[in-house]
Amino acid sequence: MVDIVDHYICFLFQLKIHHMRLQRSLGACKFGIINYFDALKLQERLASDRKSGKILDTILSLQHPPTYTLGKRRTDHNLLVSEADLKTMGAELHYTERGGDITFHGPRQAILYPIVSLRDIGCGARNYVEGLESVMIEVASFYGVNAHAGKTGETGVWVGDRKIGAIGVRISSGITSHGLAFNIDPDLSYFKHIVPCGIPDKGVTSLKRETEMELPPDEVIHEQLIHCFAKVFRFSDIQWKTQ
Amino acid sequence: MALKLWASSTANALRISCSSSRPAFPAFSIFRSFSSVIEGLKYTGSHEWVKQEGSVATVGITDHAQGHLGEVVFVELPESGAAVAKGSSFGAVESVKATSDVNSPVSGEVIEINTRLTETPGLINSSPYEDGWMIKVRPSDPSEVKSLMGSKEYTKFCEEEDAH
Repeated sequence: MVDIVDHYICFLFQLKIHHMRLQRSLGACKFGIINYFDALKLQERLASDRKSGKILDTILSLQHPPTYTLGKRRTDHNLLVSEADLKTMGAELHYTERGGDITFHGPRQAILYPIVSLRDIGCGARNYVEGLESVMIEVASFYGVNAHAGKTGETGVWVGDRKIGAIGVRISSGITSHGLAFNIDPDLSYFKHIVPCGIPDKGVTSLKRETEMELPPDEVIHEQLIHCFAKVFRFSDIQWKTQ
Repeated sequence: MALKLWASSTANALRISCSSSRPAFPAFSIFRSFSSVIEGLKYTGSHEWVKQEGSVATVGITDHAQGHLGEVVFVELPESGAAVAKGSSFGAVESVKATSDVNSPVSGEVIEINTRLTETPGLINSSPYEDGWMIKVRPSDPSEVKSLMGSKEYTKFCEEEDAH
């Protein structure tokens, strides 16, 4: 009996501290379409600034021109065409240090690159990634799309067995880079040239394909993703910067 | 026991400066079971451990770290003979589509790497202090371990971090 009361008091105290906590702002930088390499260099600079405390937690919102990327494991057996063919298609190929397998980025796919301190947001890798999944699941739900996280070992966001959102993250000195890619209405035929995320028997899809509602301009969906991110990771406010 | 829990929570709460509580998902219990910490090892604030045996230092990541990572699917290690520096990255682990850098607690030369991790990266999860060791180093400066945390300090460090 005494235990229950003590636990309750402990709980009330934690609640009070929760409300007393200091503000945690999220800096949000919105871009249009930027080249993968440029975005990578920007992330490296921001991650270094975040590590040294020069800047607060920051999130980049953007899209890429047609780009294929590989993760640290270099699983290029999942690229089904030659690099020469990619050039003909007008697509670039990049090798990165992020987790995850091969994927495609292109116009009409919303990209978020959060550069945040895991310690400050109170996360380890696993629950950070789960948080990214829940951001995409929530935004999909705004459009009546019932998305869900993958089974263990299949990180990402699915509608049925079709993938609508992908995740690939890098954590260095406790600071995140790379992030999530959410298909609004990209040209899905680009995915034919890869085994997406190394999973051969599942397809890809987009919000456009899955929803019955009319979609607003991409910018609105980008902002919704950022708002959900701020909510999920308990930021008190967003400081918007447009580039 | 409950009063002690309340007292330590209060102490932790008063020390919280600018960090928030956990995110809204998934529901992590306040009373989660604590990860194992081994006596006789030294620990870093980035959750690596080091075991000194004579002139060889064995390095890996802690139980706390592997629990927060999720299932490890890939491990990147340096080559034998490579130099490592205290506080700098020597390799990485991948789990749940996230690669996390692993930092060396000591400076020196890598004399052996755990090649079993190529085939069985999950050893880091199932046996973080034994079969999941990552590298063995010949330390260049034996005094570096003095500034690392002992098991009691590290346990407290993890409790405070998880209370955020």
